[in-house]
Amino acid sequence: MELFLQRLADGLSQGSVYALMALGLVIIYRGTGHLNFAQGEMALFCTYVVYQCGEWGIPIGLALPIGMIVGFALGAVTEVALIRPVAKKSPFAVFIVTLGLFQFLNWLDGAIWRDQPLPNSGVGSVQQQFPSLFPSKDTDFITIFGADIKLQSVGVFVLVLALTGVLFLLFNKTKLGLAMNAVASNAESAKLVGIRTNMVLMVSWGIATAIGALGGVVFAGINHNVNLTLMFTVFIYGSAAATLGGFDSPGGAVLGGLIIGVIENMAAGYADEWVGQQLKVGVAFVVIVVVLLVKPSGLFGTAKVERV
Amino acid sequence: MSLLRAHGLTAGYGPVTVLNGIDLEVNEGEIVVILGANGAGKTTTMRAVSGTIPRSGAVEFDGHDISRTSPDAIVRHGVAQVPQGRGTFPELSVEDNLRAGAITRRDGAGAVAADLQRWFEQFPRLAERRSQRAGSLSGGEQQMLAIARALMSRPKLLLCDEPSLGLAPLITKELFEVIERLNREEGLSVLLVEQNANLAMHMASRVYLLETGRIVASGSAAELSADDTIRKAYLGF
Repeated sequence: MELFLQRLADGLSQGSVYALMALGLVIIYRGTGHLNFAQGEMALFCTYVVYQCGEWGIPIGLALPIGMIVGFALGAVTEVALIRPVAKKSPFAVFIVTLGLFQFLNWLDGAIWRDQPLPNSGVGSVQQQFPSLFPSKDTDFITIFGADIKLQSVGVFVLVLALTGVLFLLFNKTKLGLAMNAVASNAESAKLVGIRTNMVLMVSWGIATAIGALGGVVFAGINHNVNLTLMFTVFIYGSAAATLGGFDSPGGAVLGGLIIGVIENMAAGYADEWVGQQLKVGVAFVVIVVVLLVKPSGLFGTAKVERV
Repeated sequence: MSLLRAHGLTAGYGPVTVLNGIDLEVNEGEIVVILGANGAGKTTTMRAVSGTIPRSGAVEFDGHDISRTSPDAIVRHGVAQVPQGRGTFPELSVEDNLRAGAITRRDGAGAVAADLQRWFEQFPRLAERRSQRAGSLSGGEQQMLAIARALMSRPKLLLCDEPSLGLAPLITKELFEVIERLNREEGLSVLLVEQNANLAMHMASRVYLLETGRIVASGSAAELSADDTIRKAYLGF
């Protein structure tokens, strides 16, 4: 039981990071139908910015909002300068551009931050120590039903729930949210009611990248370091979470992320013999394939319904 | 006074020119009807006015040159379009569809809520379904929703693209009555495209006849129905 609860808590905090990644993917997908392959690397760039702020002596509580603002700007500029011009040509071009951006950003991070003095031995790249947003010493835990739950896990989980609440209000109670929903539903008609669809897309990319930045910082905090490969698996799990929850459902993305985090930790924990740490990513892959076969619109995605 | 004036309006899709330099005018308080067969360029005319397709020629609305204005800015000038096929937001609730229609307004939530109430009273069937997804409505209900959504922006000019398409005659009649009443009581100007000539002629202040991208006749409804060839070709009696 204690072990189960601990794995559940680990899974939920891990899943919170996937949820943040999935949220970013879903917000962009809803508006444009594009899967942003650079989502993880855009988040990583912002995470490095937050790391750099730390190097300059700025506390993490202040560095995080700075990173998110940088993320918003990065996302908005990417949409305007890269995505919008090529989207007019073909949807496939957008796919290639986001892949290119993935590589470019990873190279850029390496070029800027690789030469710092290295504290840890890294796999594939230099790791920089990264502060956690929440108390994360070995003694920072609470005991529930005999299980030691890390304060960090609780903090991350609560943070994601709070963000979900804010996004719920944004999508359901504000004009911007209404405009985003309208563009997602029917972009042509959105123009006809006077919505500046270009602005909505720019802001969507901004919000998505800012959320990605938050995800990157949280994940780097859990791992106590930032390195060039940090977001690779997170992106894959985030994609799986978005597939599971439904690519057009922000709420589904959050739940999908949490479910996948829990499945991953349970599978690695209980089926250690044949899943283990190395095969964990396989879990995400299995989820993607099964969901696409059984329920392609995901748990909460809207299957298109229209009467004529 | 002329509200909308198009001169030499030319438009099409890619290399295909559909509209060959038409002149068109809608005065304040008028219901102007464009009649024409399939492929005459009726829908293209609407799109060229609302700016949703590339166009050339002069278009003036309410004293502003809108020939190079983006569709969303044209809405803010006071032109609302009910597109062919209704173009509702299928995943959004009926109420959110109407709220989206009011998204350009700056006169406060109270005024928007009052209008919402008003259209729900005007179209009780929309009120019954206010939290249902628009995609689940019937064709007639969707058409009402599309018109109500356009009116939520408080337009000076309403563009209606074949509102009768796919609707039962009784529903069409009801829709046209609503449009006429708005015109009479609120002075709403309307530019309406129709194949259903009889019904549309009945309420038209003026009529344009469109044939393969050109205006071949125009005048009051009485003048056009007096013309034998036109009557036979378009009114069928």
